Amino acid sequence: MSALQRPRKGRALDLVILGVTLVVAALWLLPMIWVVSMSLKPNEELMRSTSGLLPIPFTIENYTNLMRVSAVPLWLFHSVVVALSMTLMVLVVSSLAGYAFARLHFPFKRTLFVLTIAGLMVPEHAVLIPLFTMFADWGLHNSHTALVMPRVAVPIGVFLMTQFMRAIPRELEEAAELDHASHFTIFWRIMLPLSVPALTTLGLFTFIFAWNDFLWPLVSATRADMFTVTVGLASIQGNFAFSEGLGSVMASAVFASLPIVVLFLIFQRFIVAGVAMGAGK
Amino acid sequence: MTRRGRHQATTAALFLAPFMIIYAVLMVYPLFKGVWISLHDWELAGGYREFIGFLNYEDLWYDDLFWRTVRNTLFFVVITAPTLTLVSLLLALAVYGEGRLRGVLRSIFFMSSVFSVTVVTLIWSMVLSPDRGLLVPLWNMAGMQPINFLGNATFAMPAIALATLWWGVGLPMALFLAALSQIPAEQYEAAELDHASRFTVLWRITLPSIRPTIVLVAVLQIVAQFQIFGQAHLMTQGGPANATRTMVQYVYQTGFRDWQVGYAAAIALALFVLMLGFSMLQLWLGRARDEA
Amino acid sequence: MHHSPTLGRLALAALLASTAATSAGAVELSLLRFFGDCQADYGTVTDMTKANGECGIITALTNKFNAENTLGATVTAQNVEWGAYYDQLTATYSTGNIPDIAVMHSSVMPNFTSRDLLMPLDDAFAAGGIDKADFAPAALENATSDGKIYALPFDLHAILFHVNMDLMTEAGFVNADGTPRLPASPEEMISMGKEFKEKTGKFYIASEAQAAEGMLIRLWQSFMWQQGVDVLSADGTAASIDTPEGLKAAELIKALYDEGLANPGLDYSGAEQAFLNGEAAILINGTWGVDNYNAQAASGQAALKNYSVANVPAIFGQAKVWADSHMWVIPADPSRSAEETEAAVAFLKFLNDNNFEWARTGHLSVRTSVINSPEFAALPHRQEYAGTVEAATALPQVQNSRAVFEAMFTDFNAMWLTGTEPSEALASMQSSVDRILRRNR
Repeated sequence: MSALQRPRKGRALDLVILGVTLVVAALWLLPMIWVVSMSLKPNEELMRSTSGLLPIPFTIENYTNLMRVSAVPLWLFHSVVVALSMTLMVLVVSSLAGYAFARLHFPFKRTLFVLTIAGLMVPEHAVLIPLFTMFADWGLHNSHTALVMPRVAVPIGVFLMTQFMRAIPRELEEAAELDHASHFTIFWRIMLPLSVPALTTLGLFTFIFAWNDFLWPLVSATRADMFTVTVGLASIQGNFAFSEGLGSVMASAVFASLPIVVLFLIFQRFIVAGVAMGAGK
Repeated sequence: MTRRGRHQATTAALFLAPFMIIYAVLMVYPLFKGVWISLHDWELAGGYREFIGFLNYEDLWYDDLFWRTVRNTLFFVVITAPTLTLVSLLLALAVYGEGRLRGVLRSIFFMSSVFSVTVVTLIWSMVLSPDRGLLVPLWNMAGMQPINFLGNATFAMPAIALATLWWGVGLPMALFLAALSQIPAEQYEAAELDHASRFTVLWRITLPSIRPTIVLVAVLQIVAQFQIFGQAHLMTQGGPANATRTMVQYVYQTGFRDWQVGYAAAIALALFVLMLGFSMLQLWLGRARDEA
Repeated sequence: MHHSPTLGRLALAALLASTAATSAGAVELSLLRFFGDCQADYGTVTDMTKANGECGIITALTNKFNAENTLGATVTAQNVEWGAYYDQLTATYSTGNIPDIAVMHSSVMPNFTSRDLLMPLDDAFAAGGIDKADFAPAALENATSDGKIYALPFDLHAILFHVNMDLMTEAGFVNADGTPRLPASPEEMISMGKEFKEKTGKFYIASEAQAAEGMLIRLWQSFMWQQGVDVLSADGTAASIDTPEGLKAAELIKALYDEGLANPGLDYSGAEQAFLNGEAAILINGTWGVDNYNAQAASGQAALKNYSVANVPAIFGQAKVWADSHMWVIPADPSRSAEETEAAVAFLKFLNDNNFEWARTGHLSVRTSVINSPEFAALPHRQEYAGTVEAATALPQVQNSRAVFEAMFTDFNAMWLTGTEPSEALASMQSSVDRILRRNR
């Protein structure tokens, strides 16, 4: 029996549960559908009434306007650059450190590991203010560096990679060691490929975290041409924007979310599978 | 140390260096710097800095608004962390299994997690608007005055919690799905042979097998929800009458609106201490039951 | 910066080359402001007759300056949402993108001048040919701190009663001379409101009233001054909030909601919509809305057809109304070059020269030459609220005025949002404001 199959008993109960879940899922989708529908209605119509899930009267002018004058593409660019860089760096840094903790022996190993894990408890906001002043002193605000670097050394990343690598059986490495392979070769040729599930999980979580990062980009990227999607969208949500261009605001939100939703739809098969093996212990 | 040992130590240093250096500079040092800043009357712009010792903390102790934010934040954590854990668990149990339908359902519930916080707050602010929201036609049909969820002191926090639930269920659900897939099939087969009821299977086999994941999700939720900022900032701006003002919001407003960076640092550290306490508590409880 | 001989020679060459050219190299200026983002509608407009509303007019003015100035300067505007504007401006001093020109309320200026964050403009005014004597004395005074001028006064704005005359006629609230009959006492406000509701079935008043919106606090402050009480002392150390006068004013406003004379679920845009859709007779909003509502009423597309403006009536005795002022400042930036400063000053002069265009929004001009001009007198509705200039009262310029404002409406709005008693709300407001004022240095 494969891992995802269910026991046969209680089919009727199964159906009831499924039915309830379908209803919940429909309700779950409702807000998303409504927003997309509003983005396809003219602003004037929305000033009169916002009810109705079907986009009638229909218009794509909100989107064409977006293409013409909006800064959304620029925001997307920054979000993508930041999210990709952060994910890549987190994966590199965490897997390197994870290998060291999982396989190497060195003095103070235990202390350093505890120190790393202790960092799990520190909320990012406890260091927000000092980081802000530090980056201000270095003149590094309004840059991708400022948005990425503070998030690269994440204890959870090291923790995940260490646990995962510890659980990998040693036979493959022992064979390599007999061939006098360097640790780096072992890491690169054996450990990394075997760690793909954990890397996928970590990469995914990091990407989504980077995409959603709000407070830090809010205070660090204050120039309009450095806004990420999250900060940019917040900046157009004010009172006045709502009254004039509800459709435009909704279109911006939809457009800004499209890349990540598409990404998700493409990779969704790997998500649960990756998480499955990554969260093994 | 043997030559080999020294060699390993050097290799280890190289492997660890990227992480350790960044960690030290951008995480450990700022933590101490934060404490240092909190001992000053420090302004955001203009260069005014004066050492005042523990005066900020004394101020904090007598600050009614601070304690209000502590209560609000605790309230929020209490209503979201268990709920999120439970709902994501239930959803995981419901959508676990083969078949295209279940696959689609999994995608639907996960999809809401990929939106950024500003999109989520935009969606939910509109949905909950008493003027133009999604529920307004329903209120009108029932002949009732629409409830202004976000403007109502009793409902504002739960409304934010609802939006957070919609937003946050995806990732814990994925973790639970993963854990469920790890339960050996033999256990279920044995239960079938014993004609065990569905409920028994759930209670005696499924849940105990994924207990470590439940604890992990619970701790992660607590850590995450303690730090709520975006939803409160964008949906209610901390209102009405400070009913939804959270600790991180207070840090932001004190530092970036009122220029009082020193005081803000003190608030942030208070948050840290509070979270540390809760996380330790949760871990200790988890371990205690493990040993029981 | 490195100082190498080669670099020095290159710089000299560049300087010579630039002075030899007929136009200087492009000077990029950054402008930070609120007023909205309307690039879609006004991105290329330079013809002022085609610009309407705050956003349209300031965008068109910026475009016009860019097109016409002889310094080769280009001003790029960054719009920030009104509520987050000062957080953003303050942050720029740390994040290295200090704007060259920024808008500022006169009530907020002390925060910046007390920390030497603005460039003094006395010399700039002289060099740029900006006539100090033309400014209304109060306006110039607000822009001055410690004897130095730090800002270019741009307008005086106040809250008004925007009136739907059709609804007023229906309720019989019109005077013989065609002006709307407005309450002259707190009791009248409620009784007239009730009468209005009976006769028309609509709301008497519309206003933004959500948790983080402050229009009604401005009304309350107006009522305080009408009773002769200073909400904030001139030196900014004491607040008179929890007082009998404060209670009377708060009770009146709460009564509006208790008696069903206003809809507590409206936010800013909802209130405007309600007024334009003919669902309320009086909209409490500012001078900035006059041009908009006038245009909407004239277009025939809104339910509002017969639009009029009135001063906020002296319900509690004296004729006083909340006012503030928009000004333009040049934030202090040691890395700004002399060319950039020159260009920024030129932009200020341009804005000052076009003060009349800005007054078309509905804001009151601060230049006596404009106020006395026939064009200004010919602007629609201005005569209807001419009394506002006299009645305009601003809070004393104190530090942390933003925090004070927010602390006030946070507790005040609770009266109708959560049913708090006025006395409770005022007590809470008093203690919150005291706590903020305590930190003023």
